[in-house]
Amino acid sequence: MSLAIAGMGWMTPLGSGVDSVWERLLQGHEASPTTISESFSDRSYTAFRVPEAAMAGVRYPRLRRASVISRFAAAAGLDALRAAGVELSSQNAERTALIFAISNGGVIYTKRFYGDIVDTGAQSASPLLFPETVFNAPASHLAAILGITGATYTLVGDGAVGLLAIKMAEDLMANETLDRCLVVGTEEVDWLLCDAYRRWRLVRLAPPIEPFSKDQRGTILSEGAGAVLLTREGSLTIESADPGGYFTKRAEAGKILKRILSDLSQKKIDLVISSANGTFVDRVEYQAIRQVVPDAFVYTGKSALGESVGAAGLWQIVLAAQALRSTELPPVLHAGLDISIQLSHSRMPIPGARRAVVLICGLNQQAAGLRLAIDI
Amino acid sequence: MTARVAVVAAGVVSPLGFGLTETVDSLRKSSDCVSLVTRFSVGQCRCKTAGQVSDDRLLAMRGDAPRSRRLHRASHMMMQALTEVVTQEPQFKPELTVIGTTSGGMSYGEHYYRSLRQAGDLRHAPTWIANYPAQKPVIDAQESLGISSPCQVIANACASGTNAIGHAFECVRSGRYQRVLAGGYDALSELVFTGFDSLQASTPEKCRPFDRRRTGMVLGEGAALLELENLDSAQQRGASILAEIIGYGISTDNFHITQPDPSGIGPRQAMERAVQSARVSENEIDYINAHGTATLFNDAAEGKAISELFNGVPVSSTKSMMGHSLGAAGAVEAVVCLLALQHEFLPPNINFEAADDDLDLNIVANESRPAFLRTVLSNSFGFGGTNASILMRRFEA
Repeated sequence: MSLAIAGMGWMTPLGSGVDSVWERLLQGHEASPTTISESFSDRSYTAFRVPEAAMAGVRYPRLRRASVISRFAAAAGLDALRAAGVELSSQNAERTALIFAISNGGVIYTKRFYGDIVDTGAQSASPLLFPETVFNAPASHLAAILGITGATYTLVGDGAVGLLAIKMAEDLMANETLDRCLVVGTEEVDWLLCDAYRRWRLVRLAPPIEPFSKDQRGTILSEGAGAVLLTREGSLTIESADPGGYFTKRAEAGKILKRILSDLSQKKIDLVISSANGTFVDRVEYQAIRQVVPDAFVYTGKSALGESVGAAGLWQIVLAAQALRSTELPPVLHAGLDISIQLSHSRMPIPGARRAVVLICGLNQQAAGLRLAIDI
Repeated sequence: MTARVAVVAAGVVSPLGFGLTETVDSLRKSSDCVSLVTRFSVGQCRCKTAGQVSDDRLLAMRGDAPRSRRLHRASHMMMQALTEVVTQEPQFKPELTVIGTTSGGMSYGEHYYRSLRQAGDLRHAPTWIANYPAQKPVIDAQESLGISSPCQVIANACASGTNAIGHAFECVRSGRYQRVLAGGYDALSELVFTGFDSLQASTPEKCRPFDRRRTGMVLGEGAALLELENLDSAQQRGASILAEIIGYGISTDNFHITQPDPSGIGPRQAMERAVQSARVSENEIDYINAHGTATLFNDAAEGKAISELFNGVPVSSTKSMMGHSLGAAGAVEAVVCLLALQHEFLPPNINFEAADDDLDLNIVANESRPAFLRTVLSNSFGFGGTNASILMRRFEA
């Protein structure tokens, strides 16, 4: 069953709004790095954060005490509804499902909540912070803002979770009591995450992210949200969502990616939106793309926007949709010229492009893909 | 197309026991499996008890290999439950796995943070970090038994396990999948234990669901899995049909992030939708395994909704015996329902002393009772106003 994208929302370190962020990407802009430090450590890291200005319009009483992850999600979700011209009421909210994709969740409040316990004991644990540490807190806030009374799900996973959420939407929409499904991916960045990923040798200390580089120097974490409103009919469709599988060794990831790409390239693929982020992911994706769809144009937005993990899948879908709509690709920043796949090293027209594959190899053992098509 | 959905295998580990046999034995004996917390300090908490799964037994089951020892205990629980399932149904190859959890490998996150904060030993940090993600115990269990299906991990707070089974049910019923593995897991952690204590949702006393003098919940832990299969497919290959899942309802009540709407609208909608989805009437329900956390607010809202919808149906909360295992609870309680159908008894609501005058409920008080059951309902509700109910039916060919 194919689903149509009726509207999209985007909150990124390059600002908010699909058209605005897309234009900046086309112009070759890159998010500004922020140094993150922590009082109890002399280590500091670099991350791409959402600028304060992008959050200016996000004011809801329900979000008064919520962490930024919930604000990002609300902003992107509401943008997707607005873009689709959908206003939810008590009549149609019940026929709308909400699915969230999250990886690390509300890590800022979780760290603060547990930090109080570690520093001064259980008696200092805050009953106000605890509910915000729960994975589904962002979804519950957005459901309350929108008045959704039916199905609300939060999926957790690695960077592939956004595509698993789309697959879930496809399964839910098989039920005719639903008219639409809002899928939101969201993530917030914190020092603790940077430190964890660094100890795992996945994060580098400063930009740039060098996609597809043999050196695999690491990625830079970022934050924000992406959202798509899915309905049954429209010109931009998700033709096929492949939930992929898991890999236990990095070497096995390539097999899964090749299988996903082979399945999704039953119809001619014009471009691949890759999850290459400067880590081991790049080599496995590179080899799979080169072997299965060598003629497809390839783009990754991670060198400009960073690795937003739980939000990343939705960001890639927005990128694919924008590329098909505008028949243009932004430049892949900081990529070497010796890479033998069809990377868009500069802003590049892709006339006649009809189909795109979103390919994701997550950092924590999950891989998935989907195929978008545009009907012109 | 709507297909009938069979349960062809089940596995469980919880404070009630390892496996179906021990679990049904504990349920029938109305055992109180809640004990003093030993995994971390609870000296400053009001509540000091929880339902706990024995580490010694978990490790004994999994062996002492270095890799096994590095895994989070949630992985060991999932492996235990999956081993039981695969032993019953070695041929079952799921196309999808749907698992509920609330906190993944949280205790490893705690070790990591504590070591950072207190300048402790971080040599094991890569192991803690690698085993922290919520999907890891699912992948570990699947890998250990050669199952390769993609996994969707649902984190809908305390409704997660029921949501996972409910979504898996809908996937099979729609005809989109033939076989789905579903369930839930959660392991006790200091952060979550202290969180519920800080909300004063957990009790320093016994857990007394629906009792007039109820003072709150105790936490638990465990893992449970069900193999769901298109009934025709299961019958064609001669699989044992343990029961059918026949309905699922989900609702979101948006009242408050930690409290249900006192009107009971959220639980009521979930139960109504489950009954409608099953195309049965309320009068056909023979037993309700309630969410029944024993908090003032949950039991009041759920009890109100049950008494409005169902007339004198026997109700129990088996959390009184084993604590609330959060993301695992819905899956563990689905297994309790399955055992009640198979072994023809009503699971008990222990520690029950005095009925709440505001709740018109037929509580299965303190002792299990023999009963022939056809259709049973299981409820799970969680933070964020998520509510889920599933209906299970005795299989009659």
